[in-house]
Amino acid sequence: MNRELLSRRSVLLGSLALTSLLNRESPANDHESMVHKGLPALPHFAPRAKRVIYLFQSGGPAQMDLFDYKPDLSKRFGEEVPRSVYPDDRKTTMSSAQASFPVAPSTFKFSQRGQSGSWMSDALPHMGDMADEMCIIRSMHTDAINHDPAITFQQTGSQIPGRPSIGSWIGYGLGSHNDNLPAFVAMSSRGSGKSGQPLYDRLWGSGFLPSKHQGVKFRNQGDPVLDISDPAGVSRDQRRTMIDSLTKLNRLKFDQIKDPEIETRIAQYELAYRMQMSVPDLLDFSDEPKHVMDLYGPEVKTPGRYAYNCLIARRLAERGVRFIQLFHQGWDQHANLPAQIGKQCKDTDQSTAALLRDLKQRGMLDDTLIIWGGEFGRTIYSQGKLTEKSYGRDHHPSCFTMWMAGGGAQGGVNHGETDDYSVNVAEDGVSIHDLHATVLHLLGIDHERLIHKYQGRDFRLTDVHGTVVQPLIS
Amino acid sequence: MSERLFSAGINNSSYTASPLTDPPALRPAPQASRTRPVFCLTRFFPCLLLSLVSIIARGDGPDLEFNHDVRPILSENCFHCHGPDNATRKADLRLDLADSAMSVIEPGDPESSELIRRILSTDPDEQMPPPDSKKQLTSNQRQILTAWVRKKGSFESHWSFTPPKHVMPPNLDDDKWSGGMIDKFIFAKLREEKLSPSPPAKRATLARRISLDLTGLPLSPKALDEFLNDDSESFVEALIDRLMHSPRYGEHMAIRWLEASRYADTDGYQNDRYRYQHVWRDWVIEAFNKNMPYDQFVIEQIAGDMLPNATLRQQIATGFGRNHRINSEDGSIPEEWRTENVVDRVDTFGTVFLGLTIGCARCHDHKYDPISQREYYQLFAYFNNVAEWGVGPNNGNSPPYIEIPKNWPNLNPGEDRLIPPDAVKLRNARAEAGNGLQRPQAGSLSTLMVMHELDEPRATYILQRGQYNMPDQSAPVLAGIPDSLTISNESMPRNRLELAKWLFEPSHPLTARVAVNRLWQQFFSSGLVETSENFGSQGSPPSHPDLLDWLALELRRNNWDIRAIQKQILLSQTYQQSSQFTKNLIERDPKNRLYARGPRGRLPGFALRDQALAISGLLVEQIGGPSTKPYMPPKIWKSISNNTYQRDQGANLFRRSLYTYWRRTIPPPTMMNFNAAAREVCVVRTETTNTPLQALTLMNNKVFIEAARWMAQRMLAQAGNDPKQAIRRGYRLAVGRMPTSDEMSIMWQTHANFLAQYKENPTEAEKLLATGTTKRDQTIPPAQHAAMTMIATILLNLDETISNE
Repeated sequence: MNRELLSRRSVLLGSLALTSLLNRESPANDHESMVHKGLPALPHFAPRAKRVIYLFQSGGPAQMDLFDYKPDLSKRFGEEVPRSVYPDDRKTTMSSAQASFPVAPSTFKFSQRGQSGSWMSDALPHMGDMADEMCIIRSMHTDAINHDPAITFQQTGSQIPGRPSIGSWIGYGLGSHNDNLPAFVAMSSRGSGKSGQPLYDRLWGSGFLPSKHQGVKFRNQGDPVLDISDPAGVSRDQRRTMIDSLTKLNRLKFDQIKDPEIETRIAQYELAYRMQMSVPDLLDFSDEPKHVMDLYGPEVKTPGRYAYNCLIARRLAERGVRFIQLFHQGWDQHANLPAQIGKQCKDTDQSTAALLRDLKQRGMLDDTLIIWGGEFGRTIYSQGKLTEKSYGRDHHPSCFTMWMAGGGAQGGVNHGETDDYSVNVAEDGVSIHDLHATVLHLLGIDHERLIHKYQGRDFRLTDVHGTVVQPLIS
Repeated sequence: MSERLFSAGINNSSYTASPLTDPPALRPAPQASRTRPVFCLTRFFPCLLLSLVSIIARGDGPDLEFNHDVRPILSENCFHCHGPDNATRKADLRLDLADSAMSVIEPGDPESSELIRRILSTDPDEQMPPPDSKKQLTSNQRQILTAWVRKKGSFESHWSFTPPKHVMPPNLDDDKWSGGMIDKFIFAKLREEKLSPSPPAKRATLARRISLDLTGLPLSPKALDEFLNDDSESFVEALIDRLMHSPRYGEHMAIRWLEASRYADTDGYQNDRYRYQHVWRDWVIEAFNKNMPYDQFVIEQIAGDMLPNATLRQQIATGFGRNHRINSEDGSIPEEWRTENVVDRVDTFGTVFLGLTIGCARCHDHKYDPISQREYYQLFAYFNNVAEWGVGPNNGNSPPYIEIPKNWPNLNPGEDRLIPPDAVKLRNARAEAGNGLQRPQAGSLSTLMVMHELDEPRATYILQRGQYNMPDQSAPVLAGIPDSLTISNESMPRNRLELAKWLFEPSHPLTARVAVNRLWQQFFSSGLVETSENFGSQGSPPSHPDLLDWLALELRRNNWDIRAIQKQILLSQTYQQSSQFTKNLIERDPKNRLYARGPRGRLPGFALRDQALAISGLLVEQIGGPSTKPYMPPKIWKSISNNTYQRDQGANLFRRSLYTYWRRTIPPPTMMNFNAAAREVCVVRTETTNTPLQALTLMNNKVFIEAARWMAQRMLAQAGNDPKQAIRRGYRLAVGRMPTSDEMSIMWQTHANFLAQYKENPTEAEKLLATGTTKRDQTIPPAQHAAMTMIATILLNLDETISNE
């Protein structure tokens, strides 16, 4: 929250309530409020990143059409993918009964981008301009072959639902930098392609962590935050009057019964009032200059679109929100992939690059970690009919591409190799747990020491696995 | 380690100060053979000796109880490598078993005990726990272990694995307070802690407390008046009886059971398809409303289908075993997800009935409790024979399911008998060539998923690392109970029905304790065992072990009569105390684990919405039926999934919250905001938070505004032109009392303020009054109605209104 705004608000607030709100020492206030200051031992060491913007590409982007360049495969068009490379038991039951598993080389052209010469698909021209900021991991792999377990694994470190999401772990560990906004905000968007796979509230849930650490989902319909708007016919002044009276009445109750929860509640109503001011302020782009709006592209003003969410992400980052996660749906191209993935790229390429540029020009890229990627990759064999111009691809867990930028990630790096078919990791595999360990490391957290006890057992985001991948770190 | 609850001489300040007496609970150490294979004392460093001496010099040590004080430290810090898990055990040492532990303990002689030397060592190669374990003992914990060894270092079996003991509470001469046995236990502990109970709650406060606790709704002003004017001696008992016989009782009691049973209206994965289990939900409500004994309640839900001459109702009860999530995602491998179904049943069984984290033994031996991986799969075998397919039909109920008679619940004679479900009939998931997935047939809205055994039982194998595709096929595992819980070899249950009955063996150590603990938790917000989901080694020890055992035995003695136990609790002086806080109590016992005052806490989300509907007059009291779809935020489903939420019209908007449609991947946000369980897996304990998002809901959410508008009508009804009269009526509705003069003056001024504003801006008043779908009483002038609606909003947001005190 910017200081000027805060001081302007302070005048409006009852001085008594404000004092108790800002008094972090007050146990009642610190106890349950959203203003969680993190665990005392954290960070374990000096962080490289202060915050994360995770651009989650839901559905599983095809690695060989975007990043994992396999020029030699054009010669193998339509040949069977050898069973020795791709055994049947690792195929999903959506395509496992196909009579044939023909190689479908990418129809996209690739070129080398930036000083680093990273190969990238021409479907991503703007991202290519930022290649030297990107730390591309071609050797990601996961254990799950279907959306729900795979995305749950990416988000929580376990395929089976019930554990806290990565953002809630980080909010729990490091706390919030902003008194008026949650530590973890999630947003979702859809593009112009097929509607895509569903998302679920548990993806930003807090699992067994205290529920105040769950991500707050900014809605793209109605109130951006549930019930943030006053009812029709109730003005801000009236809301102020209402809360002032409520506070007086609650204070009378407190004087009588002395329950410390009442003091906390009084503070929470003040915080709610402030959130009601800070959220609209956050979403009001009128203070953004035209050249910045232009950077993000034509959809930047349309709620529910990726470009809009990218700009909100930057504004949240500026306001000190710890973990910001965008979910962009629609990467699940079982059929007609070239046309569909083209639309997805068009919907996301420019604003992704704009976000990097915008953060960089503000000097914020150095301490903001950007992560881009989905829950798995896609098969090199065509699911359904293969033609010169079109093919489909099924889910593929054994290799896929993600990238990071800023926040201590080494720009211009291409990490890991896949085999000739983009089916298996050939070198330097990075598991989901490794990725999580590395992200936590960049935030100054030893992933083996970020622990929460539940049902008598110590739990970690990385379960009992994970190794920090040093070559990814600058 | 579980949190220490009391200052029983263990915390730092009282440790040295407290008078040191011999701990009566410790028995003489067993004479175990003393071999010392691992350690040697000669490497004692002088500095260590010093610190050891300084600790030992502190005196005899406090009143230590092994299970309460010592085991939690060992469990938390040592069992991982020196506990039940064979695979990770180091140095062949077990600190969970006396015989093995004696190899590193010299009873009575800490200086010569390797255990003590190691925990005091600062040499990284020697110290325990070792640095790479990232665990560390506090100096307080070291002192406790040292004192324990000096006190002969005796072991006790983990308390929850031994049958409840019949211990009578002490009759204290100065106890003028206790009304019954519960109070005597509580009073004795308070005396030990030099605390006194609080005075009784005011009569109106008590009435509201009992009503909210038993029905989730406040008393109407009329019912409250009747109670206040009841001058018979048993007025409290009469109120309890009346409320327990209200249909609202069963609805309210059902909520916690639905959460424990992970009941929901959808399958829970990916597209989160629809299912229809509401007939089972209604069975639960009816069971509570008929006060079905707990043993019957449990046996029918676990294995009603296997009872001799099973009735349809008993078969319906087994919907419990099918409430788990079911995966319908395209591309899934059926056996993988069928395994998860069974795992969920085992874990739920463990949590709800045994209070044990059995699931920890799925991939390896339990680290803390005596449950091996093999024993996990013995339990798995009981639930592995369901005639099911691992992937769902992708909309509708998954077999086995039965068609519920149209006239349910009013069955014709002859209809109340088990219906054999159809076997699974597989079809290809899609016509597309290459798709290898097969799906079962789907059951419609008129069906219910039930448990049903295969004719030929499936073989069960140990799954290595818990993986569905890594069975150890060298030998099948037969159904059986873990050794540590085996009551007698003759009674080893062979199937699901016998397993259910085994829970009610007379000397079963866990069933009754776990059940009464949850009953207690429901009224006091936390159980006597705070970790109501975990009675194992890592759980918290009971605050009042003898009371817990007494209640458990009482439940059994009363033939598992749930209401009888609830009534005893509600009639106790303990429950009926004022919830007034004092400075001393906030410092000494902030969580009220000693019960020196009555319970006070925020109402659950279900009760908050229901209460607002009730006091505004909007509540529609209709029991059961398909789930309802009240107001939700716009496009609640469509914005992130491929389904559209179709809101109900009319009465269904104002039914009780337990009937609200529960979509697992997008649960009702208002309920979640107030800490409802997500219904993904079994949950028996939820937290109570206090957040700004809750304030936003109570101030702005449509149903709360609509309720305030209705409440305003009620307030204005007999008030004429006197706002004070209306405000008084509002207080009576919201908190069951009259406002104080301070409160009245705040409210009166606030109302005058709002009234002036709305008179000036009548269109704003109209806008506020247009909130919701119901029509308003047009005879009330808009400005008056809007201003009083704002007053009603304040009343619905009062801490006192949203709390049960």
